[in-house]
Amino acid sequence: MNKFGRFCMATLCVAAPLTANAGEIGEIQWHGFLTGAYMATSGAGEDVHYAGDVSDNGTTKDTRLGLTVTTQVDEKWRFAAQMKAKGVDDFQMEMDWAYATYDYSDGFSVNVGEIKYPVGLYNEYIEVGYTYPWIRAPETFYNSGTFGPNMTRISYSGIGLVFTSVGDESETEFNLFGGLLDVPDGHVNQLIGAKLGFNWADMLRLQLTATTGLMEIEPSSPRDAMNGERHTAYSASIGLDMESFVFSTEIGTASMGVDAMETTTGYAMMGYRFGDFMPHVTYGHWDVKGGWGQKDITLGLRTELTSNTALKIDVKQVKPGDKYNNDVPGNGYGLFNEKPTEDKVLVYGVALELVF
Amino acid sequence: MKTCMSTLMLMAVLSFTAIAAHADEVVLIVNPANPLTEMTLKDVKNIYLGKSKFFPGGGKVIPADQPEKSLVRKIFYDVMIDKTPSKLKAYWSKRIFTGKGTPPIVKKDDAAMLAWVAEQPLALGYVYRKSVNDSVKVLNLK
Repeated sequence: MNKFGRFCMATLCVAAPLTANAGEIGEIQWHGFLTGAYMATSGAGEDVHYAGDVSDNGTTKDTRLGLTVTTQVDEKWRFAAQMKAKGVDDFQMEMDWAYATYDYSDGFSVNVGEIKYPVGLYNEYIEVGYTYPWIRAPETFYNSGTFGPNMTRISYSGIGLVFTSVGDESETEFNLFGGLLDVPDGHVNQLIGAKLGFNWADMLRLQLTATTGLMEIEPSSPRDAMNGERHTAYSASIGLDMESFVFSTEIGTASMGVDAMETTTGYAMMGYRFGDFMPHVTYGHWDVKGGWGQKDITLGLRTELTSNTALKIDVKQVKPGDKYNNDVPGNGYGLFNEKPTEDKVLVYGVALELVF
Repeated sequence: MKTCMSTLMLMAVLSFTAIAAHADEVVLIVNPANPLTEMTLKDVKNIYLGKSKFFPGGGKVIPADQPEKSLVRKIFYDVMIDKTPSKLKAYWSKRIFTGKGTPPIVKKDDAAMLAWVAEQPLALGYVYRKSVNDSVKVLNLK
C-alpha cells in the first residue's frame, strides 16, 4: 500500500465513525470479489513463462480476493477504495485504488486520488473477473507488462473531471483526467487523457480514448532508452450485449519514442448465451514494429452458477511474432519471457468467480 | 419431464400475472418536507440505477429498496426499472468495483420503509399503496 493509500484508509477509518448517523450519509458499505484460478501452458517449454507466471507447470497465481469500501461522506462527497490480495503477490493485501468524488451535479463530478485508469471497456473493473467473459481480459489489449501492448494500467494518481449526460436510455460521459502514472520501471509524468463514452440501455457501449505523458524510466531498466520520451496512446472500443448475443472489439495504438516499440493492438470477441452457458471466441492481434508481438485465439465457456457466481474455462492458442527482441533479455517473444519450444502454445485455465 | 416443464411454465405465468395485477398497488414515497409532488419514470429509473444522485429539483436523494425476494420489489423493478436480477447484479458489480456507486440501501418491509422515509428528508422509497400513512408523501408518476 503506498503512502496515499495509507492516508486514505486512515482518513476513512477516522472519519467514518464521526460521520455515521441514523441516516445513510456516512454509512460504510463493503463489497467483495473472489477469483480462484488455475492456468497452465502446453508447449511453452521449461522455464518459459507466459504473461507473468503461467508455465507448463501450471499456476494458481491469478487467484485473488478484493474488498471495496464506499461511503457517502456528505451530500456532495463520496469516497471509495479497493484492497486486493493476489496470488502473484503472495496474497499481500495492497491498495488497488482509493479516491474521493465530489458530485457537483448529476452532470458534473470531480474525482481526486488514486483512480482507476479509464481506458478500455473492461479496465476499470479488470480485477473483478465475474464482470467479463474470459479468465483474463484479452492480453493483446489489457496486458500491462513493460514490454506488452502498453495501452492500460491499473490506476493513476491525480484528478478526473467527469461530465455526464443521461437520456431516456442513453448515457454519455466525457472524462478529462491527468496526473501521474506508475509503471513497473518508473513513471509516466504529466499524464493527460480524455475518454468519450456512450452507453445505450447497457446494450451498446462505445468508447474513444487518448492519453499522453512523459516517461521517466529507471536507468537500470531495459527500457532506459525511453527515458524522457513521450508515451501517447489512442484506443477505440465497441461493446454489444443483447439478450443472447455478445460482441466486443477494441483497437489501440501506442508510441513510446522508440521506433521498434510502435504498437498496434486489438481483439474481437463474440459470444452467445444459451441460458446460463455462454461459449465465446476471441481473436487477438498485437503488432509491434520490432516484430515481437503475438496473435492468439481463445475459446471459452462462461457458466452462471448463481446470480453472483460464475465458472469459466478458457483455452487459448498463442503464436508469438516471427521476429524476436533479442536486445532485451527476458522479453521479445510475444508475451513469453523466452522463446517457447513450440511455434504455437496452448494456454488453458479454469476459474471460479464470485462477487459478494 | 413434460409435466415438470408445464408446472414451471404455469408458475412463471402465475408469477407474471401476480406482478401485473399488483402493478398499480406500489407507490413512490418521499419525506413530507420534500417539495416534489411528481417524478417521471426516467427520473425514478436513473435514481435507482445510481445514474442520478439528485432529485429532479436538485436536492440530494437517498433511494431505498425492499428485500430482494419480496413481491413488492419484484413489482417495482418489473414496472419501473425493467432489469432482471442477474442483469442488475452485473450492472451493480461494474459500478461498485469502480467506485462509481452502490445499490440502494435495503429496508426490511413496508413498515421499516415508512418509518425511515418519515425521518429522512433525502429519502425516496416505495411501498404498497395500502400501507401508506400520513407520515410520508406519495409521489405521482408523470
